[in-house]
Amino acid sequence: MSESTDQSNGKSPGSSQPKDTNKEGIPPKSPHGQGDHGDVSNKVKEKPKSLYIRILRQDSPEDASYWERHTITYEPELNMTTVLQRVAAQAKTADGKDVTPVAYDVNCLEEICGSCTMLINGRVRQACSTLVDNLLQENAEEIVLEPMSKFPVIRDLFVDRSRMFHALKKIQGWINVDGYWDAGEGPKQSPAEQQDRYPLSQCMTCGCCLEACPQYTKIEVERGEGESDEAYEDRCREAYSKGFLGAAAISQVVLFNLHPTGKMRAGERLDALSSEGGLQVCGNAQNCVSVCPKSIPLTTSIGRAGRATTVHAIKRFFGF
Amino acid sequence: MEKNASLMSFYYRHEFLIRRLHSLLGLIPIGAYMMVHLTTNASILAGSEIFQKNVDTIHSLGPALPLVEWAFIFTPILFHGIIGVLICFGGKSNLSSYHYVNNYRYTAQRVTGIIAFLFLFYHIMHQHHYGEWLGPYFGMFDPHHATSSVGESFAFWWVKVIYLIGITASIYHLANGIWTAGITWGLWVTPKAQQRADLICFGLGIIFLGIGLAAFYAASTVDIQQVRAEEDAGHDAEVLLKEGEDERLDPTEVPAEEDSSSAEAEEASTEEPTSEAS
Repeated sequence: MSESTDQSNGKSPGSSQPKDTNKEGIPPKSPHGQGDHGDVSNKVKEKPKSLYIRILRQDSPEDASYWERHTITYEPELNMTTVLQRVAAQAKTADGKDVTPVAYDVNCLEEICGSCTMLINGRVRQACSTLVDNLLQENAEEIVLEPMSKFPVIRDLFVDRSRMFHALKKIQGWINVDGYWDAGEGPKQSPAEQQDRYPLSQCMTCGCCLEACPQYTKIEVERGEGESDEAYEDRCREAYSKGFLGAAAISQVVLFNLHPTGKMRAGERLDALSSEGGLQVCGNAQNCVSVCPKSIPLTTSIGRAGRATTVHAIKRFFGF
Repeated sequence: MEKNASLMSFYYRHEFLIRRLHSLLGLIPIGAYMMVHLTTNASILAGSEIFQKNVDTIHSLGPALPLVEWAFIFTPILFHGIIGVLICFGGKSNLSSYHYVNNYRYTAQRVTGIIAFLFLFYHIMHQHHYGEWLGPYFGMFDPHHATSSVGESFAFWWVKVIYLIGITASIYHLANGIWTAGITWGLWVTPKAQQRADLICFGLGIIFLGIGLAAFYAASTVDIQQVRAEEDAGHDAEVLLKEGEDERLDPTEVPAEEDSSSAEAEEASTEEPTSEAS
């Protein structure tokens, strides 16, 4: 996680962007592969000269948050990552006040890593795949950016999503290997199984499903004074282990329990699902499946996991 | 405070089992009972004698009735309701940000659950003799004057409003609850299957609402004085008949005989009022 902090702080303001944020500084538009985006921008009747971006900022986990308004020059076909780069590079509010660059998490820039997930106009999505021209149709006045509300804020738009990784550890979201030697070919998977599993494997642990879930509530462990990293992490782990796993982890149980080798640990994963904070917390609001940027059939996974967990619990109770 | 914390910790550690039980009890016995109850009440429409007969059948359980009430009605409702309140506290509605139909249904399920829980408390106090200590407008149901006492209890406009809201909320909660229970138990899993189940649950909900509104209409339109007269006439006939039977029968006879005599009495009571009315 600290790597990402360095990345967002280091990358945005200085190195990659020149000081001037005028049109000259922008790389020329690529002539191909822009069809869809071009259509979108044509739908906006009146293109504005400048964009207003309202950002909920926070200097550190302990500090209170505050709103700040920034403005940049409008260009067609902008995505939100580019907007954030401009905003951070300029480091100046709409009133001309010099401020620290806005921090945000970013990595792949093509909606496969999930790290630039944030609330854009109140809806959770990735900055990289959110197009400004679409946002202007939602609200032409300004674009509102907030950090995800279900995770502790590290700085500005950059949040600590390590709870998601704790969840993956809890459900053993992996395939076990029993040695470092070549064990030969694994069991065969039918194309039907493959089709079943592939959509689930697309999860990028972005956290959209959790942000939109009314049953997933924020857990923020405050750091004690002079507390060591290890002690703090232990406390975090304990707190997270009692919180709801959420749709992403439940779906990963289904994914790994369908795997021919993963199946061998199916019971342990189902035990994790029926433990404190397991799938029983789900309230069937189904926002998860509606907001998932990868269109993963999360509610199908929840239903399947619900049945499997019940059957497993009954079997275990009667000892067969 | 500490005791509360350990109680909540117990709840969270066993939440899977508790939630499964909560889901099951909502369907059986609570949901099933609710529909039987509303159907029985709607039988007022078929005539006060038929409703009285249904009530007599239920009350023929005699001393076992409270046992059945507590085992199959009050305890499950208390469990389902209390756990339901805990569930409400466990989540935080986010309708302002996410306007999906199922998100509205999620919130509605919680709101109607709370309404239904409060309504049932009022309803039981309003009708059941457990509520008598609360005053004249409580504990109003009289099993010997089933129809007329229901009619009397519905004589105020605000009672009608409370029942209309309570019945509608309970039926929404049941119909939507069947749908979510199907997901919880993994009966309908894919979005298409869930859509089909949704249609079925919607249809069930409409049927339930029809029965519920029929019961409501029946209770609100009782001609109290006439029905009361009929009931008293039937009651007198029953007493007369019983006295006649007593003379003929050995008093040490088994109670089964008595049952058949009371059934005869009911038959007599169904005939009696019509002749009197005409």
